[in-house]
Parts: sequence; C-alpha cells; structure tokens
Amino acid sequence: MFSFSKRRFVQLAGLSIANRLLPPWMLSAAEPVDKPGRKVIIVTFGGGVRNSETFAPEGLRNIPRLAELRPKGYFYKTCANQGVLSHFNATGSIVTGNWQRVDDFGSEPPASTTIFEYYRKQTGVSPMDAWVIATNKSFAQMGWGTNRDWGASYGANVVLPKQLLIEAVGEAVKQKSGGGVASRENVLKHLESVLNEGYEGVGWTIFKAAKDLDRNVRESLARALVEYINGPEAPTSGDELTFFIAREIMREFAPRLILVNFWDMDVAHWGSYSLYLQAITRTDRITGMLWDEVQSNPKYRDNTAVLILPELGRDGDQNASNGFLNHRTGDPSCRNLWLLALGAGVSAGETDRLVSHVDVAATAAELLGVQTGQIAGKALKEIL
Amino acid sequence: MPSAPKLSPVIQNLIDKGLLDRLPPTFSTFFFEQFQDWNLLFPAERNYQERMFTLLDRSQPAAVESLFAPVREVERRMGVDEKTWPRRHFGLEQVDFLNRNPHFAEWRQAISRVFAKVDPLLDAEVTRKGKPSLIIVTAPSELSADPSRMWLRLSRYGKRIQVDVPDGADYLNLAVTGGTRKSILEMYSKEPYDSWMISADNPWDGVRNAIRLKYDDLKDYRSRMMDEVRRMLESGEVRTPRELNERLKRLKIRASEGDLASDEILSEFLRAVLLAGNGTLLINNTFVEWATIQAIRRARPSMMIISFGIRNKLKPFSSVLIYSDQEATNPIPSQMDALGTYVDLEIFYQYIWQEFQKYAQYRNNTAFLFLADGMEELFCIAPPDFPLLTAKAPVKLTEVFGHAREWLNI
Repeated sequence: MFSFSKRRFVQLAGLSIANRLLPPWMLSAAEPVDKPGRKVIIVTFGGGVRNSETFAPEGLRNIPRLAELRPKGYFYKTCANQGVLSHFNATGSIVTGNWQRVDDFGSEPPASTTIFEYYRKQTGVSPMDAWVIATNKSFAQMGWGTNRDWGASYGANVVLPKQLLIEAVGEAVKQKSGGGVASRENVLKHLESVLNEGYEGVGWTIFKAAKDLDRNVRESLARALVEYINGPEAPTSGDELTFFIAREIMREFAPRLILVNFWDMDVAHWGSYSLYLQAITRTDRITGMLWDEVQSNPKYRDNTAVLILPELGRDGDQNASNGFLNHRTGDPSCRNLWLLALGAGVSAGETDRLVSHVDVAATAAELLGVQTGQIAGKALKEIL
Repeated sequence: MPSAPKLSPVIQNLIDKGLLDRLPPTFSTFFFEQFQDWNLLFPAERNYQERMFTLLDRSQPAAVESLFAPVREVERRMGVDEKTWPRRHFGLEQVDFLNRNPHFAEWRQAISRVFAKVDPLLDAEVTRKGKPSLIIVTAPSELSADPSRMWLRLSRYGKRIQVDVPDGADYLNLAVTGGTRKSILEMYSKEPYDSWMISADNPWDGVRNAIRLKYDDLKDYRSRMMDEVRRMLESGEVRTPRELNERLKRLKIRASEGDLASDEILSEFLRAVLLAGNGTLLINNTFVEWATIQAIRRARPSMMIISFGIRNKLKPFSSVLIYSDQEATNPIPSQMDALGTYVDLEIFYQYIWQEFQKYAQYRNNTAFLFLADGMEELFCIAPPDFPLLTAKAPVKLTEVFGHAREWLNI
C-alpha cells in the first residue's frame, strides 16, 4: 500500500532537511553517525485486543503475519498486565518497568523513569536515538517521567501522527477555498470533536494533548500532511499513518530505541465487532511491514530486537458488562496477553512462563546494555 | 443548594436508622449517589434497592459484619479514609481512586462476593412472583446470510424452526401483529416500563402503549449532543471531567426531538445511553444493543422487541480521522455494510441473551424469538413448554404470533 511515492511526504515535510526543521538543541546532537550496538523497537499491538482474537486458535485468522512470524521468534504465551487497564498507564508500565497509576488520559507523565532516559543518560547517545511514535493522542508525555534527575533532557522525541493530522486538516481548510471546502470544514469540525473526546466515551478526554515536538518541526510536518492527505494515497487509519512516520524516522535517523504505539483496535469501543476485527488485521499487516523494514534496512537488520505485545486486552464475552467493547473488568481476558520477541539474538522458542508488561523495560535495558534503577520488572532471560 | 431528594419511606427510614453509614463506605456511598436521583430510577431499580437494604436491616448484625468483612479489609489496604472518601459522597474522584488503586481487582472481587451472597436471597422472592416473558430480536432483510450461518453463538441453547415464508407479505409485521392491527407489544403492555421496542430504524409502524426508542428518530437529539460537547470542549468552558459531567447532565432531550421528553425517567435513561460512550451516538446497532442491555439491567421489562438495522460503511475521509456523523460531513452517498453488520449482530445476539440470563426473573420462563426478515428459519430459545417448540414445521408467521400470544396469556 505504501509506495515509493510516499517519499514525497518526507520531502514535503522537510523531515530529511534537518537544518530547516530541527530545533537547535536537536540539531547540535543529530550527528549522522551509525555507531555499532543493539537496537530495540517496542511495538504495542495496541488499543486493546484479546487473546481470543489473536493467538488463540480461533483468532489466528485475524493475524496472518504474526502467526507466520511466531515460529521465527520467542513467544511468551502469557504476558500479564497486572496494572491499571488504561492505555496510558499500561504503556507507561511497559516503558518504565514499574506499574503506573497516573492520570488515564495523559495529563501527567509516567511517575517513574523511562527506559528512554536510562538509555540516553548512561550512553550519551544523540537525542535522535530515542523516539515515541504513537497513534494515541494522549501519549504526548510518554517520552520521560517525573524524576528530576532524568526527565526531558534525556527523554524520547514524541510524535503523535494523528494529532498532526488534525492540525493538517485544519491547514487544509484554511488553504483551500471554493468547491469542497465547506464539506471538509464540516468534516474537520465534527471529527476533531470526536478525536478530542477520544474513544473512551464522549467528553472524558478533555485534556488537549501537549505537543512536545518543537513548534517548527510540528508545523512543517503539518504542512506536509496537508499535501499528504490531499494526495491520492492517504492512509485509511491512524495506525497506518503512525507506521508511515515510524518508517520514515527509521530511515532518516535510525534511532536505537523506539516505541511504536498502534491504537486502531480501540475502535471496539464504538461497538462494532467487525470494525474491531478489521483493525486487528490491519495492525497485524502493518506490524508485519514494520518487521519487513527492520529486515530490509541495513541500519536495523542483524542488530535489532523487536518486542511486540498488546498493552491491554478487552473484557471477555462471558459475564462481562459488554464484552469486547470495554476493558474495565480486570478479568483474564483483559489482563492475560502475549509477547512476541523477534530479531537479532532472539532464538526461536516459546514458554508458558508467566511474564508481565513491566518486564519489557528491564529486557530492553539489558539488550541496550544499560542499568535501570529499582524497578518491578525482570529481564526476559530467554531472549538475552 | 439543591433540595434533598425525595426518597421512598423505606429507604429514608433505613438511612435515618444509620444502616447505610454502618456499611463499608465504598459500598454505601455508591447507593447514596443513586439516591440523589431517586426520581429518575425505574421502579425495578427502586424495588431492588428497597429489598436489598431491607434484607440487610433485618439480618443479624454479626452476619452483615461478616458479609462485608472482606470489603472492609480491602478498603483498609486501599487507604480508604475520610480524606479519600468523603462521607456519603461518590463522585469521579472516587471512581478514579478505585481504578488507579493497586488493590482494585481485589476490591471488585470482594464487592462481587457480597452481591453473590445477597442476590440469590433477593432472587428467590423474584422467582416466586415470576411471570412469562417474551423477547423478539429481529434482523433486517438486507443481511442476506444463509440461515445456517445465523445465530451461531447461541445455537446450542435453542432450536431452529422452519418458517413458511409468505409471498409478498410484510414478514416482521406479520410475526409481531399476526395480521391484526395491533402488535403483540401493544396487546401486552399493562405496567409502565414493562414493554419496550428498541430499534435502529423503522421495521413497522403503529407501536403505541409501549416504550419506543428508535435510533433514526433521535437524529436531532444526537446531533445536538455532538455539537454541544464539541462546543464545550473547544470553548474551554469545562476544564475537568467533573465539570463536563455536570454539564452533560443538562443535555436532556427536548420535546421537539422526541416523545420521551415528557417522561423524566426515560429522558434521563436516553441521555445516559447516548453519552455512555461505546458508539451509541454514531452507530445504529450499537445504540440498539447498549440501550437494550441498559433496559434489561435497569427496567427489567417482560416484553421486548429488539430490532437491528444495517450499519453503513465508513466513508473514506471519515475513517482517516475516526468516525463521525458521516451523513452530515461527507456528501458521498452512504453504502450499506451488510457483511460487517452480520458479524456485529452475531456477537450482539449473544450479549443480549446473556444479559437476560443474569436476572432471576428471566430464567426458565422467557421465550426468545430470533427472526430475520424474509428468512425461512427462525431461532427459538425457550422453556420446554413454549408451544412453538412443538409446533409442526414449517410454521406460519401468524402461528408464531399466536404461540407468543398464548405464552403471554394475552
């Protein structure tokens, strides 16, 4: 689906023209040096998905790419989310190694130091070496925690492609005039409202996502997206846009530590099982494409571990308040998920051993050769 | 200051006696919050609360203490105190406190165990007063699935029955009216809030005397809600979830937007259904399913017709930015998503049936008829004495109607 013509996006965005885009602090450190060493990509197969629609026998038809990749990697049959069953806290637990219990809608950063901060501070790598690319617009503060000794100076760059898309549509409305503008304006008004409200329920996500990217970077990306969404190959979902941006960032900056957050599956909150299944299959496809990029990109091939896991599940069909629509009961369908590790140094295999979401940060730290402070997670020894 | 809510004498007496204040605060304050809107509760809800607290009041204090001991223990571990949990107050802060607490799962279990012990005692009373119920669930003709692919998640609980499909007749209308001018819903309707029709569009006209919730008819109200919420957020008028919650409570349906405006219980029910998230504002069948689940849970009707429609496909530009009222925002003609609707409905049939099974009044005395417009099979889940189960197939739709009428003693 994503053809070479998408490079036009980058050209338009100016993402590859660093001196036009990057803020001074970033520019000074953004040296195009490809130092040897391990790279880690964490992919949240996200938005909330149940085992029954993924790696359970009846779910395999929804995830043909992951099913095909499973024998090539190490598969943890039960990776448990033992924390808060919200998107921000679940993902915050993954990147910090401690169960997070902060505001569910992203108004607060994680309360613990993130793997991005440990990595950057201890290794002195470039600010361009740690990125968060997230479909979930409330993840603006996912790049660093509240610990004063670490924080923004060592955090990850955070890009929220969907948020940028909203801005882009706004730009499109401003720039266009005449035929078609009225309906686009209508679309913007209505859809922006829905976006601001979030899937969780009308009106509950009232905190506007912070925009921690440098203003010039953001505006340039927005300008590019105006062209992009008006073009013939616009993405059909937020996750496809996230994949596209992630791939471009990998190609341009080759960061060593990336969190890619997919989120389309949370469409389940709207109560359409078929749309939920479609989202799973789409995320499976683009996760496969991300893996293909790792394999074909010389800066990643042979030195990159990819850790794929859902950040949370969804309520079970039996005895739940409304089954797949929500993720609030804390039943096994909500908590018991899986983790698939692929890539450099990862032997094929699988285990019934119970692992959990907080183990991911500990594992990433080991893979990257850095120490964490006292955290709840334990490194996954099978893939080290 | 708002005036104190007018409660039933039974509940007021129990409050005055200090019963609720003696219970664990995470349990009792939830009900105090419900009491604030006592006039907006369905009779079934009021009745349940009266019976539950009366049961607790007449039980031995030691037994009540023992029943709630696990909840108290979890509350202690959670750090519930006067500061985190103000007396008789259950607001968004308390919901947030519970959700973020490391002991939330234990708390849920402890609360569930309380109801698991109390509800069977209350159920026994309900069962003694039980009466036959009838639930009809319909699918539109556009679904065009093979009968063998219908109702698969429920197939082990019921029986497929061959239908003699009438030529040229209105299939669903015939099934629910038997060719008379009145639907079975209207014939049955006696008590307030006991007979409901919840539908996506308009499978047939002329249902009076019963509660009617139709997604298509609520278009003006739904549009106003979306506009208002967006305006509030954009203008910055509301800054916290609490403020927003308070403002949303005022978004009641107007008389010009639907008949329900005249009934404050139904008006509030509808507002809550549409603002509960879960796509009820945007997707017709989600509205039907969620409104049905809530009606079962809260009003406990004896007769329901639940009628699904066809969901439209998402339009290309809408799907880039999530979903909205596509009809208003995109001039491209809508297209039906028959396959997607089929997948959606298969799981909704299961969820609806399961919801009924949770409540004693429906167990062993409820007949479920799953009909698909124009289909030569219907699916029936019912007690063995439901006459349709032994009817000679293929049955005529007028016979289906007759058996249903007989079941309800109409």
